[in-house]
Amino acid sequence: MIQFILRRLLFSIPVLLGILVLTFGLARAIPGDPCRAILGERATDQICEEFERRNGLDQPLPVQFLVYLRNVAQGDLGDSFRFRRPVSELLVERMPTTMELGFSAMLFAIVVGVPLGVLSARRHKSALDVGTMVGANMGVSMPVFWLGLMLAYIFGVIFRDTPLALPPSGRLTPGASPAPWYEVWGLVAEGADGNAFQVFLSRFYLLNAILTLNGSLLIDALRHLILPAVAVGTIPLAIIARMTRSSLLEVLNQDYVRTARAKGLGERLVVLRHALNNALLPVVTVIGLNFGLVISGAVLTETIFGLTGVGRTLVDSITSRDYSLVQGFTVIIAFGFVLLNLAVDILYGWLDPRIRLGQGG
Amino acid sequence: MAPGTVTLQTRGSRAGSQSLWLEALGNLRRNPSAIAGMLVIGTLILIALAAPLVATHDPILSMIGQPGETGRLQAKAPCIPLLGCEDAPHYMGLDLNARDLYSRVVFGTRTSLSVGIITISLSIVTGTLLGLVAGYAGGRTEDVIMRLMDVVMAFPALLLAISIVTILGPGLTNALLGITITFIPQYARLMRASVLSLKEQEFVTAEQAVGAGPLRIIFAHILPNAVTPIIVQGTLGIGTAILDAAALSFLGLGAQPPTPEWGQILSESRNYVFTSPHLVFFPGIAIMVTVLGFNLLGDGMRDALDPRLNRN
Repeated sequence: MIQFILRRLLFSIPVLLGILVLTFGLARAIPGDPCRAILGERATDQICEEFERRNGLDQPLPVQFLVYLRNVAQGDLGDSFRFRRPVSELLVERMPTTMELGFSAMLFAIVVGVPLGVLSARRHKSALDVGTMVGANMGVSMPVFWLGLMLAYIFGVIFRDTPLALPPSGRLTPGASPAPWYEVWGLVAEGADGNAFQVFLSRFYLLNAILTLNGSLLIDALRHLILPAVAVGTIPLAIIARMTRSSLLEVLNQDYVRTARAKGLGERLVVLRHALNNALLPVVTVIGLNFGLVISGAVLTETIFGLTGVGRTLVDSITSRDYSLVQGFTVIIAFGFVLLNLAVDILYGWLDPRIRLGQGG
Repeated sequence: MAPGTVTLQTRGSRAGSQSLWLEALGNLRRNPSAIAGMLVIGTLILIALAAPLVATHDPILSMIGQPGETGRLQAKAPCIPLLGCEDAPHYMGLDLNARDLYSRVVFGTRTSLSVGIITISLSIVTGTLLGLVAGYAGGRTEDVIMRLMDVVMAFPALLLAISIVTILGPGLTNALLGITITFIPQYARLMRASVLSLKEQEFVTAEQAVGAGPLRIIFAHILPNAVTPIIVQGTLGIGTAILDAAALSFLGLGAQPPTPEWGQILSESRNYVFTSPHLVFFPGIAIMVTVLGFNLLGDGMRDALDPRLNRN
């Protein structure tokens, strides 16, 4: 198993390097003078000369790339000219919002998608099966930003003043300011800042509410999270439900399942204990691939739901041509995507010995 | 005697290959999902071709000052005579610039269909060539091509397209290019896998033994045998490409106003969803129906063309 993990890690190094080469190349492909493209109107000849020297733009390309590598390795992604702050700082500040959204969306997709798929497969060709599959087909065909807008309209306007109403914007009710957990726990003096990691954790509002045992805040944060999470999670949900269904249908036709039935096991036991274990293997891969959809979903819906996360910051920077921010965020998101898929690969190898032994050679 | 036998065999094999395609077509005709998909796409193609006839107004003409228009025109709600509306009829209402939304959505069909079909065709051609070369040449060439594909696939597709378009500058052509690049790896991988398995088969080695050159082997033998999965993947890809193009337009990176494009319409009216939901509702439905059509056809084709799936 350790050998398998090491080999997988080794395989992802060229991909990570490739990502850096590609983003570096893209940044150099910006038409015109990078200094004026990045600094905009502030750029005078003197500032540009200084800028080029500071960023090593007067050096040959391979040297520039090495400098870029060193900077990324040190966590230096350049400065955002729009915010006048380091890109990495902005990333750390806004990541928790997006991660909270992404994980809730994924959780929603798995918790609803897998049981739906199982039910559809068990009642193959029933009304429930047909209905689920029609719904799943529509789910994968919807633009996520449209779904977000419609959900915001339905639960924010049509259901306003009913128990079904949900807040269509923000992370908490305006005015609510959660006490950070490190303060409640007495790790720092009141009013003082925690260290970077403590602050980072406290920006996960759900986690912070749990850590501070603040029930009403937790419910408030949850209610704000429902609409964006459902919007972002719907496409993955549809894909997961379809995959679970077709994979389970295939497994249910296999000999060992027939044997299990022939032994007189109840249908429940056959499906849940014998068939589902094997049927879920391809589903794990699909879940890994869906992280890409979740990231795109966050980029497209954070603006709609008024969430100041990585996606919204990225979108705003595109319009203002804040190249260093777009480049830095892209690199880090792509890295995260590769690492998540690596984790899924390893999980897959752990679940299925054929994978990790088959490639052992 | 001998020549007759040869003719018979040739006929037999030709009939055999024809019947394989006929069988696939027959399967397709019996597949409800494929039929539904074809109906939807057929209708949309007709609408796109006959857009000036189907539309009721000029898609970029403001209704302000037009005869028969009354009241506040910006973002006016739908007005359908059948439902008892007595103003000038606008089936989907007017947009923020008082243009007829129905006509804009109808003309948007042209943009979305062309974007989907062009991007996928371009990426199929490029990806297939790359995959053919990689699979047939092997060695260092294969390594370089496939690692490059790995890198492109390492990015979430939309994010890569965003980065490319941010640098090239917004616009429909650049958005098209960005999306095309994100799709290339799937076809390259698919093609390479087919080539690798076909390369070892007897009919290919036999052809090599009688002295056929690599080009003949690739284009006369490997390509025709590897084309089915590409077609299926391509049909499903068109739906995704349309969604991606709409997303880029939604972010302001794709089609630019006043071009009627569904994502772009959604983008300009998203801040008005609470007051004028019709502006958001209709273009979204149009996108969903179109993508659904290609997905249904793709699913149906996969079931009909893949003999391994027939038992289900």
